[in-house]
Amino acid sequence: MSAPNPPNPPQRGARAIRGPQSALTDFLASHNISANQIRQDANARRAAALASVQAAEDDSNAPSPAAEPEPAAPPRRKETKAQEAKRKKEEEKAIAKIKASKQFQKRRRQYNSDDEVTDEDEAARAFFQESMAPLPGQMENCEICEKRFSVTAYSRAGPDGGLLCPKCSRDMDKEEGAAKKKRKTQAGRQRRQLQSNLLDGIYPGAKDLMTLCIETLAKNVDMADSFGDLPPALVDRLSGILCKKRLMNSSILDLFLRPEYDSVTIYDGSKLSSDDYIRIFQIVPKIKHLRLRNAVQFKNKVMDHLLGTTVELESLSLYGANLIDDERWNTYLTEKGSHLKALKVYWTDGHFGNEQLEVLAKTCPDLERLKVAHNQKVTDPGISHIANLPNLKYLSLEITNARERTTSGPYVEVINSIGGGLRTLSLSNISQLNDSVLKAIHEQCKDLSKLRLADNEVFTDQAFADLFTGWRNPPLTYLDLHKCRHIDAAEPRENPESIGLGSLGFQALMAHSGEALRHLNVHSCRHISREAFESIFTADKTYPELQTIDLSFCQQVNDFVAGSIFRSCPNLKTLKVFGNFGVKDVRVPKGKILIGVPNALGMQIEGTEDGDGRTI
Amino acid sequence: MASSSQNQGLSKYVTLVSMDGFEFVVLREAASVSKAIARMLSPTNGFKEAQDGRCVFGEINGVVLEKVAEYFYYNYKNRNREDVPDMEIPPELCLELLMAADYLDT
Repeated sequence: MSAPNPPNPPQRGARAIRGPQSALTDFLASHNISANQIRQDANARRAAALASVQAAEDDSNAPSPAAEPEPAAPPRRKETKAQEAKRKKEEEKAIAKIKASKQFQKRRRQYNSDDEVTDEDEAARAFFQESMAPLPGQMENCEICEKRFSVTAYSRAGPDGGLLCPKCSRDMDKEEGAAKKKRKTQAGRQRRQLQSNLLDGIYPGAKDLMTLCIETLAKNVDMADSFGDLPPALVDRLSGILCKKRLMNSSILDLFLRPEYDSVTIYDGSKLSSDDYIRIFQIVPKIKHLRLRNAVQFKNKVMDHLLGTTVELESLSLYGANLIDDERWNTYLTEKGSHLKALKVYWTDGHFGNEQLEVLAKTCPDLERLKVAHNQKVTDPGISHIANLPNLKYLSLEITNARERTTSGPYVEVINSIGGGLRTLSLSNISQLNDSVLKAIHEQCKDLSKLRLADNEVFTDQAFADLFTGWRNPPLTYLDLHKCRHIDAAEPRENPESIGLGSLGFQALMAHSGEALRHLNVHSCRHISREAFESIFTADKTYPELQTIDLSFCQQVNDFVAGSIFRSCPNLKTLKVFGNFGVKDVRVPKGKILIGVPNALGMQIEGTEDGDGRTI
Repeated sequence: MASSSQNQGLSKYVTLVSMDGFEFVVLREAASVSKAIARMLSPTNGFKEAQDGRCVFGEINGVVLEKVAEYFYYNYKNRNREDVPDMEIPPELCLELLMAADYLDT
């Protein structure tokens, strides 16, 4: 169709499929006369005449806008006044119709969520113009540059509703695209930040001044030449924030090294080199407490330097330092071990094994705190050596040797030997340990405040009940028994031998420690019955100290149980219920956080109940 | 408005005085965000500050104390809101303000 006129009824024009032409048409075309053109002009004239008559008598039965041959989209030429009036009227009608249509309501909801179009009229008009726009495959004049181009499904509308050619669309995209995109991601970032804070247990609201200052300081840390005499606790928080943002490098490290300090904590040392670690001992010779995470470059060279200095560390915590070989460990423990009170060694892969634990027992008589986590080298004989550390108060073991699983014997030996003095006992990844360990804890431990026995598939419910019944140990403040449950891939729901922490054990532990317990984690202990939860969190029982509870994947937890927990634990801050599909619509009191509700957003924060429990 | 010398009936406002003599009159409720000030002003502790509603800070200068007062009102204004924009803190004041915040326990 070569008509210079605006494209007429899409019904015809859009198809643009033509059969063979007659000789007459060909002849006329060669003289630049188009039959189509003549017919359209005639139609337009007829329509104009009809419209002027109708407009005069204020028509009420106009044809529906879809059947109306008049295009509503500009550009428009040769329009009489009457035509224009009529067209306006049609347009209004069509818009009113659109406003009422279901499709439009749906669209509007979408728009609303994006905050893009708020004015209803505007939205309806946009929708209308869109529906009246030429269909793909047609030719159209660009609204801005007036050039002809073929309309595609991707052609975008210009500021006045007409279509734009690809070049002008690109320019438009460039102009608005950036701003539009930015605004959207900004909102998204805020929402994600809020959710992230909630997961960190930070309740939304105004931050305290100290946090604001520390965050500003962390943002502008490159401007600081020293922290002055900031208290150590604040320096530590600052280190935490900077490391979280991965900003801790050689030059930032210098801010944290002051000759008068006695402790250095680096939460992420992945950007520091061996020389940086050596510098710690050079600048802070009086250092007593050293804590380094992701300290891969803390290797033999650094250890050799440390051995050559007069530094006498009382506590050493190394995370990920897997380039220190066993020989260096032996030398270090032999030469400097006598000062050590705390030793924490994480993620050393194939280093730090039984032999080092044996040396430790001989050379570090004053050791109070020992943590060996994610270690693949220690086996049963190594664990038995820990029994020879009589002053140990805090013991934490997580041996991940997949080939040679640790067994109950050595653990029982350790507990029988030093259990009486332990304040913390944390054993993770102990899938093969049996009830004898629980029995030993019941008999020996009398001073524990933190107990973790995680990831086991042998302990029985009855043994847990026996552990907590008549135990002379005072109530615990921290208890983590997550993943103590029966595993059977063939019959996942059956648990005939009551393996894992079940109703009996849970009731016994709450009876024993409920009054003082602050943190409770029974994640994945899926055999605890609903009746047990209900009888523990009844209206007449309160657990004043409880702050965090993790009941994820305890399938019996439902709305009622969650509600009862909020009632029974006045100081609760967070309750985690991942994977509990019974929790759907529980009312969360103000100031408390419920995490893991299975809805799109995952968590719910605001309650309707009054109270001033709002904290940061 | 500053301080009421009578000890019966607590005044709604309290005065914060900086080391260089600047005085800031702020709402008692807003200032009580600082646990240190709340303790100073609590009548049960019987400090002099509680009697005359006047807290003198010998180690905080006027510029910093002004920012602290601004924070008190920022916090007070946003006490029941969830989506709170962070207060702007000029980087050059940051360290001193941090020390003050640590001292005031806010």
